[in-house]
Amino acid sequence: MFIIKYKNIFLAIGVGIMIISLGLIFGLGLKPGIDFAGGSLMEVSYDNRPAKADVEAGLNELDLGGYSLREADDESGRDVYMLRTRALSDSERTSVEETVITDGSGGTITRFTSVGPVIGQELQEKAKWAIGAVSLVIVIYIAIAFLGVRWPVGSSVYGAITVLALAHDVMVPTALMAVLGYFYGVEVDVLFVMALLAVLGYSVNDTIVIFDRVRENIIKYRKEHKKTVNAPGGITREEVTYSFNKPFGEIVGISIKDTLLRSINTSLTTGLALVALYYFGGDVTKNFALVLLAGVIAGAYSSIFFASPLLVWYAEWKERKNKK
Amino acid sequence: MATETGGNMIVRLFYALLTLAIAASVAFFVYQNVVTPDSKYPFKLGLDLSGGSHLVYEADTSEVNPEEVDELMNVLRVVIERRVNIFGVSEPIVQVESSSVVSDEQKERLVVELPGVTDVKEAVAEIGRTPLLEFKLIDEEALLEAVAMESISIEGATVTPSEGSADPYTDTGLTGRYLQSAQLQFAGTGGAGGLSNEPIVAITWNAEGAALFEEITANNTGKRLAIFLDGEEISSPRINERISGGQAVISGGFTPEEARDLVQNLNFGALPVPIELVSTQTIGAALGGEVLEKGMMAGVIGFAFVMAFMLLWYRLPGLVAVVALLSYVVVMLALFQLIPVVLTAAGLAGFILTIGMAVDANVLVFERMKEELRDGKGSREAAIVGFKRAWSAIRDGNVTSLLSAIILFWFGTSMVKGFALVFGIGVIVSMLSALLVTRTLLVALPDRKRDEGVVGRLYESGLGK
Repeated sequence: MFIIKYKNIFLAIGVGIMIISLGLIFGLGLKPGIDFAGGSLMEVSYDNRPAKADVEAGLNELDLGGYSLREADDESGRDVYMLRTRALSDSERTSVEETVITDGSGGTITRFTSVGPVIGQELQEKAKWAIGAVSLVIVIYIAIAFLGVRWPVGSSVYGAITVLALAHDVMVPTALMAVLGYFYGVEVDVLFVMALLAVLGYSVNDTIVIFDRVRENIIKYRKEHKKTVNAPGGITREEVTYSFNKPFGEIVGISIKDTLLRSINTSLTTGLALVALYYFGGDVTKNFALVLLAGVIAGAYSSIFFASPLLVWYAEWKERKNKK
Repeated sequence: MATETGGNMIVRLFYALLTLAIAASVAFFVYQNVVTPDSKYPFKLGLDLSGGSHLVYEADTSEVNPEEVDELMNVLRVVIERRVNIFGVSEPIVQVESSSVVSDEQKERLVVELPGVTDVKEAVAEIGRTPLLEFKLIDEEALLEAVAMESISIEGATVTPSEGSADPYTDTGLTGRYLQSAQLQFAGTGGAGGLSNEPIVAITWNAEGAALFEEITANNTGKRLAIFLDGEEISSPRINERISGGQAVISGGFTPEEARDLVQNLNFGALPVPIELVSTQTIGAALGGEVLEKGMMAGVIGFAFVMAFMLLWYRLPGLVAVVALLSYVVVMLALFQLIPVVLTAAGLAGFILTIGMAVDANVLVFERMKEELRDGKGSREAAIVGFKRAWSAIRDGNVTSLLSAIILFWFGTSMVKGFALVFGIGVIVSMLSALLVTRTLLVALPDRKRDEGVVGRLYESGLGK
């Protein structure tokens, strides 16, 4: 299997993707939406949208601090302004409303969201905890599910590799959001965190499918050697050791080949549903669909081209170390 | 369910038909609930799809004994609920939400959802108008001092009040939370028949309040007790004697209208703790409808994509998977109606995601089945062995998805919870649909080897013949 043969190259690519993603995330930064940063977001849709300069002139007279006014279309294609400000009090909101809805513009407030800074902070905190908790739970579960497999590598190795692959799967869509945020001003909101958590839960499936096959093939291709050992004190005990008819790398290679089609097809069906959501769904869930799609693709890629080579690399490294 | 490869064909067919019949009746149930106007189980739409306002208040519980917080928040909820009900919103939701387990300081919040109300200003005003009633004892000396200060400063000099000057008002702990009812009365009507016909507000305390009031009046006879409404002193009668029986009277030079409003406000609830609006979300009904329509469209198209792929790639088993996916969709819709799950834009997106995920188990089984067919097994045996072999991967994959759904739910604000719930239920139902529907139908299909005629070829997959 070429993936195993050139495993070092694929591992380097995988690590490269992660480094580039991290570079993008920390270099460009994520733009926090009001869910996290606190503030107000007002969407006003118009029959005749007034000129931006006029609205801004009006807003400048109010003591709002920094704000951003953006032209956009709403779900039904009407012209709208999106106004982002700091969190507004009741009276401030009223004066802002009066400013943006000018006479004859036929404006209505179609969406208004205001989040206090405390709530935003709290949500950030919760998001970090949730992502950490999901990762931890997955390692533990995989380690337990693979408990029967002790040889040639222990069950916790499968868990650890799965989580490394997951880190890859989460970094890619996050980097995508950083890029979109930098160039198009796309903001990170609660939906983004939900998408990331869903990516965590879902993209692990592909890795499991391959590792499940590895687990099965290990049993299929290994030979058991039983030997009676005389332990001190005159007790005899039976010691079981294993050996393979094939190198471990080849076994993982066979497992990838066996499961390649199903890895691709399961990701494909999920991807198809997400493409439909992206193109035909409402604007509010567009970025959600995009993040998930990026995560699903990254997940399919990482299970085949990253997790599996890493498993072989680790097993061979361990063997070399034991020989020394 | 038949598990042997031999077995009775009639029994298999019976189970297959039974499965289809159950799925069809679930579909009929869902359809009935949609077309019947006053159905008992309609779809519940979240505010972001139906339009409305979502308000989050934070309660200031810093002055309250921690043990009483839960009870007070419950009282607050009841009071606000009563308030909200006055302005005739259909199905408002008022619920207490404690801030997360993870933050250092526990914050108590009240979430108010008002479907159809897009004028938040009015709603906020209505909710905010609820009075906060407090009773405070007056320290006459400190009061005199404070008044003196004020008169000096009025005369023109800038005077900074001396550091030591005490707050003339001391909290008694007696607040509107102990109120049982308030009544409008006119001074003089009940008693001596004096000329004054001043409107007064008579308060009846609950048992706890009555005891507290009696204690306060007993210990402070001769002092004055100030009555504050929303932080403003409205009257300060002198305590002439110990008052038992749980009655008090507020007279503050009200006009009859003022007194009547006050009584109404008090009866509809004096707030037990002060609250502050910390987050608002309003979505216009037209916009919500648009999002819903597009979401349903995306769902139908996503379903069609997945269906087309499964049919083209997996042929006969693909058809079985499509039937299983259909039953997955109707069971999910029925659960949305029955539980009920409040559908939000995020929940809808989650549902569409699970449509793509739901066939995954089928894919795993069909691929396994193909391996067995290649080994020369008949299609029925291949299906049964395929299920057995694919089970561990299906189980592990679904368990991890389910675990993340549970953590999402725990993490959740109401919006996240909606998604997590749909995602979690989706994982369970899709697993069941693969194990029950796909399996039952597959074993009821004619048993062929892979090179046995046209039907045999239908078990193949992909682009080959």
